Amino acid sequence: MRDATRATDGDLADADLMRRTAAGDREAFTALYHRHHAMVYRFARLMTGCNSAAEDIVQEVFLVVMRDAARYDPARAALSSYLYGVARHHTRRRLARERQFVTFDGGCADATQHVTQDDVNATLQRRRTLQRLRRAILSLPRRYREVIVLCDLQDVSYNDAAVAIGCAVGTIRSRLHRARNLLSQKMGSAISSDEDNQRLSERCAV
Amino acid sequence: MTSMRHEDLGPADALEELRRAEARMETPPHVEAAVLAAWDMAHAPGMASRRRTFWRDAAAVAAALTIAAGLAQLGQHLQRATQGANAQSENSRTLLLVGEPILQGEPVRMVRMRVPASTLAGLGVRPATGTRGEHIDVDVIVGEDGVARAIRVGR
Repeated sequence: MRDATRATDGDLADADLMRRTAAGDREAFTALYHRHHAMVYRFARLMTGCNSAAEDIVQEVFLVVMRDAARYDPARAALSSYLYGVARHHTRRRLARERQFVTFDGGCADATQHVTQDDVNATLQRRRTLQRLRRAILSLPRRYREVIVLCDLQDVSYNDAAVAIGCAVGTIRSRLHRARNLLSQKMGSAISSDEDNQRLSERCAV
Repeated sequence: MTSMRHEDLGPADALEELRRAEARMETPPHVEAAVLAAWDMAHAPGMASRRRTFWRDAAAVAAALTIAAGLAQLGQHLQRATQGANAQSENSRTLLLVGEPILQGEPVRMVRMRVPASTLAGLGVRPATGTRGEHIDVDVIVGEDGVARAIRVGR
């Protein structure tokens, strides 16, 4: 996972930006937004399958940052983990409130813009595969969906995922293993062969 | 575009493809406008005290009018007047001007967002259905420069 805590915009760490945000510094708040909005949006989008829900969740997360910046303790968690935790909370509330979501609309980024004639079939096949995969992920139970989204799709480390979700690292590992098996069944192929698991795990290892 | 044959995508490859596709997704710009408008609402200098003063004065005027109406009108007439006022209140909306005035012909965009009732309370607005801790839908009118011009609070 990219270490956003140590990423710098104007050489300010997240904790400094949070302190300044708590003190009413609009520039610091804007910098925090620019640094972290995309990861929150992608997480919420993958979890809900709905762009407008993801937009609402981004707003809600940054309203929390605006209101509670002073409460953030960098010693307890990296800001990215904290934000994932807040986004997860709002996503769960949203999912509980609105059981039905539309599938991804036409705004998906995998709609390749530079398609040549020779690649049309391959591109269509690829889009179908990704659409099936998205649907399969959305159909996973929430506790499995979130580890797939965090670890396999957002490159979050097991440690950071454990902090965001509030469980042990071992729980993340076991849920991820189970989630990949479920995805495998839903996709109708050997998604979670030992080789596949090894490849995926290498990216998110603690 | 990648030259790999996508029909041969294995599940792990598909996850990797999806990860790459999602990595290109960006939050729409109007979300940033709404978030920053919320910031400006909450941090507008003097806004809270000004609005509080306004609403205190408005409440005093309303109370005086109510008393006058009570003295002037009795029985059914008073009851009808009260019912009418309630109905009007339920349907009314509050428009707060929070920045530069909207110029005639200026293109604006309206962004609907959900804010905590406490934020609105900080602006001196008490939504009829809102209580502290509850979230209220508001329409933020954003100018071409991305700065909030007005906030409409409904119901």
